[in-house]
Amino acid sequence: MDTKMATATAAPRTIVDSRGSSCPGPITDLALAYRRAKVGDVIELWATDPGVKPDVRAWAAKTRNEIVSIDDQPDKIVTIVKILRR
Amino acid sequence: MKRVVIVGGGSGATMLANMLDERRFETIVFSKSSAHMFQPALLYVAFKNANPHIIREERRLLARHVRFIEEPVTRIDLGARTVATAAGSWYDYDSLVVATGVTTDPDQVPGLRELDQQYGNYHSSVAWAQKVWANLDTFRGGTIVLGQTSPVIKCPPSPVEGMLLTDELVRRRGLRERTRLVFISPYPRPYPAEPMNAIVEPIMRERGIEIMPFFDVDRIDPASRTIYSIEGEEVHYDLPILIPPFVGADIAYEPADVLDANRFVVTDKQTLRIKGFDDAFAIGDATNLPTSKAGVGAHLEARVVAKLLEGTPAAFNGRTHCAVDLAYGKGTFVIGSYTAPVQKRRPDRLSHLMKMMMAHMYWLSLRGWLEPLFDWYFARTDPDRARPTEGVPTHA
Repeated sequence: MDTKMATATAAPRTIVDSRGSSCPGPITDLALAYRRAKVGDVIELWATDPGVKPDVRAWAAKTRNEIVSIDDQPDKIVTIVKILRR
Repeated sequence: MKRVVIVGGGSGATMLANMLDERRFETIVFSKSSAHMFQPALLYVAFKNANPHIIREERRLLARHVRFIEEPVTRIDLGARTVATAAGSWYDYDSLVVATGVTTDPDQVPGLRELDQQYGNYHSSVAWAQKVWANLDTFRGGTIVLGQTSPVIKCPPSPVEGMLLTDELVRRRGLRERTRLVFISPYPRPYPAEPMNAIVEPIMRERGIEIMPFFDVDRIDPASRTIYSIEGEEVHYDLPILIPPFVGADIAYEPADVLDANRFVVTDKQTLRIKGFDDAFAIGDATNLPTSKAGVGAHLEARVVAKLLEGTPAAFNGRTHCAVDLAYGKGTFVIGSYTAPVQKRRPDRLSHLMKMMMAHMYWLSLRGWLEPLFDWYFARTDPDRARPTEGVPTHA
């Protein structure tokens, strides 16, 4: 996983690059980023494993955080999550 | 002659050192310890009281031409191409390979240090794995809570293996009816990769194991014997078997930004070069690669780096191939790559037998003597060439 802080947006945004990860999988990278996040942060998760979609939905429902968007791009699936609870 | 400095004394470092041609390379291996442990065997020391003689002398595992220096490396300057040791010595290199692995870091979770000391774990040392066994051996009933305490883990199948072996043990001892087994996981399910979870979760449920998904450990209160999750849940334990978080080696790098927040080395997924440097590589658990931290990765990455050092084109494909013990003499393998999702592989006795055989083959494999066998086996089980019936995708 490669993470970096993007500065172009208002809220602190962490990009989590989980492309290529199938085991243990992108959800593990999201869980790790959540561990370090604060309320108001935005996490942008890049993945190629299609399993990321149901996993992020289940994760957001459980942790009661907000999925801003899930975007199918030609080379990756980009999920944007806003941290509401921590 | 080019000097290759390899930092680390585990499987990746040892295999790579033995692969390099002595006529072309002066190879130096630095390790903080001369003890080389077959780490997967800790599972059996912890849950089956297996023979604890799983350590050999690193010098004897290296080819004669490889120079072994038993000193901890404290600093690596990638720009100046030097490594410094705790003894104050400096060594130049033409090429560097970081293979420093990971270590457990219980201090990341409040309360875990105390539990780690008392109850041990099965991811660090023989002594700590024996603590797990000592507590299991005297267990007479109550709640056993087992799981990882961070999303970062070495050997992703190991929590499931530990839980199923615990179930087998308490059943064999006639304690199952007096025992509540609780499996905690920071993931949506017991095994993070869904196709493999489709195999392991039904087995766990059939054996009466309670599963608490999305339980990412926040803190532990040893006084009340309670584990709390970030998600707001809690669980009480009588016997905890917890896998601590993992971090990379305590080495200062110049530049410092080649390490991520877990002290894992930021590494190119294909070329295995350390970010920004053509003459420095990282392999095995030490990297931040999006693959399982497991011996097979270190092995296959060592092969790639050996070729690149020799000037032969090569790239790592993210291959994972991890044996999973499902207890009662059955097992399976987690097989995937950057481009092939993990396959759903049904449990069988042969897989378990192969895992057991690896304990003996391991020492030979370090010397490179089994490479033709591995070539054949890895090609035969290549997930990118798998038959559709084996690689059943479970996500739409």
